[in-house]
Amino acid sequence: MIRAIVRPETADAVTDGLADSGFYSMTKMPVFGRGKQKGLTVGNTHYDELPKILIIVVVEDSSVDEVLKIIQFKAYTGSEGDGKIFISPVEKAITVRTGASGI
Amino acid sequence: MKEIIAIIRPSKMNATKKKLDEMDVPSVTAMPVWGRGNQRGINPVLTGIEVSKEAMVKGHVTGMKFVPKRMLVIVAKDEDVDKIVDIITKTNKTGYIGDGKIFICPTDNAMKVRTKETGDAAL
Repeated sequence: MIRAIVRPETADAVTDGLADSGFYSMTKMPVFGRGKQKGLTVGNTHYDELPKILIIVVVEDSSVDEVLKIIQFKAYTGSEGDGKIFISPVEKAITVRTGASGI
Repeated sequence: MKEIIAIIRPSKMNATKKKLDEMDVPSVTAMPVWGRGNQRGINPVLTGIEVSKEAMVKGHVTGMKFVPKRMLVIVAKDEDVDKIVDIITKTNKTGYIGDGKIFICPTDNAMKVRTKETGDAAL
């Protein structure tokens, strides 16, 4: 399971980029968070938590590197706040309609 | 300890919660999400929905790239996992595409904030 927290404005580029490479299945949700920079200060206003999009993709082990490369490339702007990617293990995936296991 | 992440239809949410309650699995975290699966969202061309030529010209045939879903996160003891997966699959099965997926992920530990219990006692 790959969880990528990206900028809302790059989220579409990331999802379209993944779809172009054949990784159609994903879940996304709006989240709020902050990172090492502790939010954002503009003038006198401090934004503690910034809006981001969390994209969840579950892929086979062999595709992980490719997915990472696509996300890194599409979500990159160079400034702080581009986001993070987390990779965690999934033991089993079940399709509800058929009851079959596997992605 | 296992984390069960189920992505289901929003309309089946109440039924699922009720069934889980009945089977003594009351603790659920739910959130609204957007997602798509092997069918690539709702695509009028792939799913065979008739589209008028006018709509085609205007480009109104993109369907939906993402479909609204509900994500349930349940952290359960190892021995309860099969039971919960069974409940969720039985309640959510309609036979049509878009019924959802269930992912089972390993979880190392859990902690109850109020009592500071850890491990299975915290669930």
